[in-house]
Amino acid sequence: MATIARPDTPPAPAPYDNIPTADVRLPAVKSYAQADHDVIATLQPTWGWFACVALAMTCLAIGISAWMYQTFWGLGVAGYYPPVMWGVYIVSFVFWVGIGHAGTLISAILYLFRAGFRTSIYRASEAMTVFAVMTAGLFPILHLGRWWKAFWLIPYPNWRWIWPNFKSPLVWDVFAISTYLTVSATFFYVGLIPDIAILRDRETNPIRKAILSQLSLGWRNSDREWRHFARAYLFLAAFATPLVLSVHSVVSFDFAMANTPGWHTTIFPPYFVAGAIFSGIGMVFTIIIPIRKFFNLKKYITLNDLDAASKLCLFTSMVVGCAYLTEFFMGWMSGNSMEQEFWWNRVFGQWWWAAWIMLLCNCILPQSLWSQKLRRNTTWLFILSLFINLGMWFERFVIVEPSLSHEFEPWQWSSYIPTYIDYCILLGSFGWFFMWFLLFIKQFPVLAIAEVKEILPVPRRHAAGQEGHG
Amino acid sequence: MSRGVLGRFQQLDAAIDAIDDVKRQRVDDIQVFTPILSHEIEEAVGGPESPVRRYTLIGGFLGATFGYWIAVWTSDYWPLVIGGKAIATWIPFTIIGFELMVLIGSLATVAGMFISSHLPNLTATVGYDPRFSEGDFGVFVECPADQAKAVEDTLRRNGAVEVRSER
Repeated sequence: MATIARPDTPPAPAPYDNIPTADVRLPAVKSYAQADHDVIATLQPTWGWFACVALAMTCLAIGISAWMYQTFWGLGVAGYYPPVMWGVYIVSFVFWVGIGHAGTLISAILYLFRAGFRTSIYRASEAMTVFAVMTAGLFPILHLGRWWKAFWLIPYPNWRWIWPNFKSPLVWDVFAISTYLTVSATFFYVGLIPDIAILRDRETNPIRKAILSQLSLGWRNSDREWRHFARAYLFLAAFATPLVLSVHSVVSFDFAMANTPGWHTTIFPPYFVAGAIFSGIGMVFTIIIPIRKFFNLKKYITLNDLDAASKLCLFTSMVVGCAYLTEFFMGWMSGNSMEQEFWWNRVFGQWWWAAWIMLLCNCILPQSLWSQKLRRNTTWLFILSLFINLGMWFERFVIVEPSLSHEFEPWQWSSYIPTYIDYCILLGSFGWFFMWFLLFIKQFPVLAIAEVKEILPVPRRHAAGQEGHG
Repeated sequence: MSRGVLGRFQQLDAAIDAIDDVKRQRVDDIQVFTPILSHEIEEAVGGPESPVRRYTLIGGFLGATFGYWIAVWTSDYWPLVIGGKAIATWIPFTIIGFELMVLIGSLATVAGMFISSHLPNLTATVGYDPRFSEGDFGVFVECPADQAKAVEDTLRRNGAVEVRSER
């Protein structure tokens, strides 16, 4: 077998040791043992983490209190006033479903496309997806008011044989969201199994070891397990890819099926999907940049990875911007005075402030990502991601409220002002989401250790400079 | 697995050479433990094609069928007649069919993976060493006692850092 001789003189040390190339994706990670050590080290709880969990739980407690108050007094406390009967809950539902989309995009679609930057960010994104969809699923139930009747939406054989109406977009939503939650949670767990096995093998506490043994299902890294794992993972990714596109399309049907100005358009499914991916990438930056900094994972989540994700962010921002302009254009071109009046009211009338927050955060600020310097500036990316989160929440606000408050007849025109109950429940949803996410990152690896090892140089006896992985 | 010989390697190519050599001795019952998904090992071991795809196909087909069936049957059982519109409407029901195809197909895929991989496997596995999840490669060869010596020699010759009999 051919061997490659060692160079006589050692190569000069590189000025920077964390600049990836096509061949060496993680130059600062030298061995499998280092990868294990660095990622497992992130599982040690810190005071900062406890403080964040306490803050998240406080927000959740505020949200639960508001929800109990609403349950006692009824939906009227939530700021609904005819004809605007969809408010912050539906806005937040669409917002959180959208957040969930980037996780599946990164874990499934980029897996099928073999995008290299996926490896270091997909575990956090997948966790984000599962917890965001769990959060989203709460809002239609809160919006029901009588939440204890939510099970009526599920088709089960009851004694009167009454079934939900399968022609209703709201029933499609139930199927789409519950399927999405189940499939993304399954995909997430399957990907975690080899990493749980790594934790199990390093664990010294017998109780934790027993729990991890059960959770890893006795995974042994055998060739047979990996062979079937690879197939199953591929097929799950193949299923998740059309699913992610279908779910937000179905969510958009909640609006597009209604004969309401601003909603009844065929552009909604692709517009919603692009917006969902855009908002999800914004949230990925919001969570991955602090993780990279505070967990000391700069060697794993490189600037190249953030740069690549920023380009995706810029692209989806432009798709979303194009959808906004198309909507305005179609309103103007329709020749329908109702539509024209509605669009004018949305952008320059009653709701101008919300529309311009949306346009500023989603279309104008992301244009900064044309600059490579800013794409590689983590402080700017983090700030921008907060603007994107804000802008995408306002996008859904702009879709829901102006349409319902400005329908066909002037006597129907109204306004909408959220109450403190709405705000408390919105705050509680962030508490719920971050509580689960924070608990996750201290129990399981926030980077996929087994996949990170796959992009490290494989230890070979016939490779130059390779003396085993130590 | 019953009685056999385990070799521990620190390099992938050493493990692959050992697998090739052992197979040349007409011993085919080989199990490899690897910290990463390696197609080189998959090729060297030469196992059969994974049957997971069949579970996926059958699950997806059953899910789509059930999705269309429940929507059509319930609409027909308690018809909501609206201005002469069709009771069973295929376009909206495709959403239910599609979602259930994905749901049942995905769950069947995972079930197929578990069944094919013999998971959950909560008993001790002969030959497994925790170092195989960290970075080492293990080659476990199941063989009768009279062949064990030859297999041990083969594993050592190919660079195994540790060779031991397992039962």
